[in-house]
Amino acid sequence: MQLKQFSIKRYYPFIVGIIVFAALSWGAAISCKIELTGLIEGIGKGMVFFKNLFPPDWEAFPEMLQPALDSLILAFLGTFFGTLMAVVFAVLGAANISHPIVRTISRFLIGLERSLPELFILLFLIAAFGLGSMPGIICLSLGCIGMLGKLLADAIEEIDGVLIQSLTAVGANKLQIIVFGIFPEILPKLLAYSLFRLEINIRLSVILGAVGAGGIGYELDYAFSMLQYHRACSALLVVLVLIFGIEKLSAYLRNMLNIKANLK
Amino acid sequence: MIEVKNICKTLPNGKQLLKDISFSVKQGEFVGILGASGAGKTLTLRCLNGLLKPDSGEVLVSNSNGKMQDISTLNKKNLRIARSKIGVIFQGYNLVKRLSVLENIMIGKLGQINPWRSIFYGFTDAEAATAMEVLERFKMAHLANNPTGSLSGGEMQRVAIARAMFQEPQVLLADEPISNLDPGNAQMIMEIIAPLAATVPVIGVFHQPEMTAKYCTRVIALKEGRIIYDGNPNLNITQLNEIYGEELQKVVTKIAEPELNALNITNAIEAI
Repeated sequence: MQLKQFSIKRYYPFIVGIIVFAALSWGAAISCKIELTGLIEGIGKGMVFFKNLFPPDWEAFPEMLQPALDSLILAFLGTFFGTLMAVVFAVLGAANISHPIVRTISRFLIGLERSLPELFILLFLIAAFGLGSMPGIICLSLGCIGMLGKLLADAIEEIDGVLIQSLTAVGANKLQIIVFGIFPEILPKLLAYSLFRLEINIRLSVILGAVGAGGIGYELDYAFSMLQYHRACSALLVVLVLIFGIEKLSAYLRNMLNIKANLK
Repeated sequence: MIEVKNICKTLPNGKQLLKDISFSVKQGEFVGILGASGAGKTLTLRCLNGLLKPDSGEVLVSNSNGKMQDISTLNKKNLRIARSKIGVIFQGYNLVKRLSVLENIMIGKLGQINPWRSIFYGFTDAEAATAMEVLERFKMAHLANNPTGSLSGGEMQRVAIARAMFQEPQVLLADEPISNLDPGNAQMIMEIIAPLAATVPVIGVFHQPEMTAKYCTRVIALKEGRIIYDGNPNLNITQLNEIYGEELQKVVTKIAEPELNALNITNAIEAI
């Protein structure tokens, strides 16, 4: 048999793919009326806006702490309740412990939630409950179901089916199997996923705050609409610190979980 | 005491997996089930604890009152009660790796205690104490608080046996308990299982005729879902050939030199 030698022919499909992709992008840019000149001009305008932000209004910082805390609590509570709900959906949506019909329904609801943007859910909830942190918490909780529900359901489905069988064999009922067999096995993943979701929820809580869930997002939006750019800048800095801090904390905790998981 | 009467199992496509299997095992017996792959060994074992329902026939297991009951006809709740008194050891240990050894032992009692209490309160100190006693009996007390995932394969299988014995079973089933182990550990596990037969009937599925010859008191051989041999564990090469057919070579290569001599089949292989 002759060994395949290097040849540009091997890359033909790849090259064709790039050309097709470039042509499609070009076509899309033309049909959407995207012009490079506009982009360059826009950057200039953006820089002016950016310049207006500085310096931040240092005196506004103490006033920002309370809203920042509100956002933090919003994200924490949302993640907490959301994780609880996601666990229920995950258990119902895992093929190895759930009834096929229940699983299909649960998986459908998880998928449905994932396809609904959080903003849409919040607007719906605001219509129902009015402005405030209540619809914010519910919205973030529901938002967890789509992501955590799917990840956890998959994690449960990865558990060895014979482990579940061996618990069945000692006479354990479904709930006992979940509590003593499945829960300990997915616990590290559960914690890691919900910490990751907490990061997402902190960012979301800022955006949702601007729409009407209160907190630091509301401060930011209010400052911008009042054209108080320096104050808006302080709010932005607080948001930055908040998001960065939670991300670092979450990464640290997840790292610790991983070390622990490896030790076992 | 466990008694199997004429169990049959047929796939929906008409393929017969188990044909008319009957045997009974008393206390003091350690029965090894042998057979080529696909002969129905594991299937038979799964019928014995109700993980699989036979299409026809009876599986009689004595319950805690000493009465015989057919577990293939029990309803869900009674089946759970019956299962709680049947110890099963699996090939892959099947312990909860993130719980401690002691907790894994106590899981053996899940079917015997109030489910709600077990979920919201856990196990009582008395239960933990009995579990410790069982661990001491199997010389594993020093591992009680270790995470189960950190144990070696042989240790895990010992924990699995201890869990099964903690159930105070009426019958002990073992589904290829030594298939995942190296020869040294396999020997050790067999030496632990064999004496248990004095207190409880033991039925195990094995792939190693030399092990069943050494430790079992009786061997049942299956072929294509039918019992073709039931009796003395010392099988000669003609009998092994009949049981395993083309797979004989595979089984025999696994046999260590001394056991080969014990079975006196080295010459026979050369003859083949």
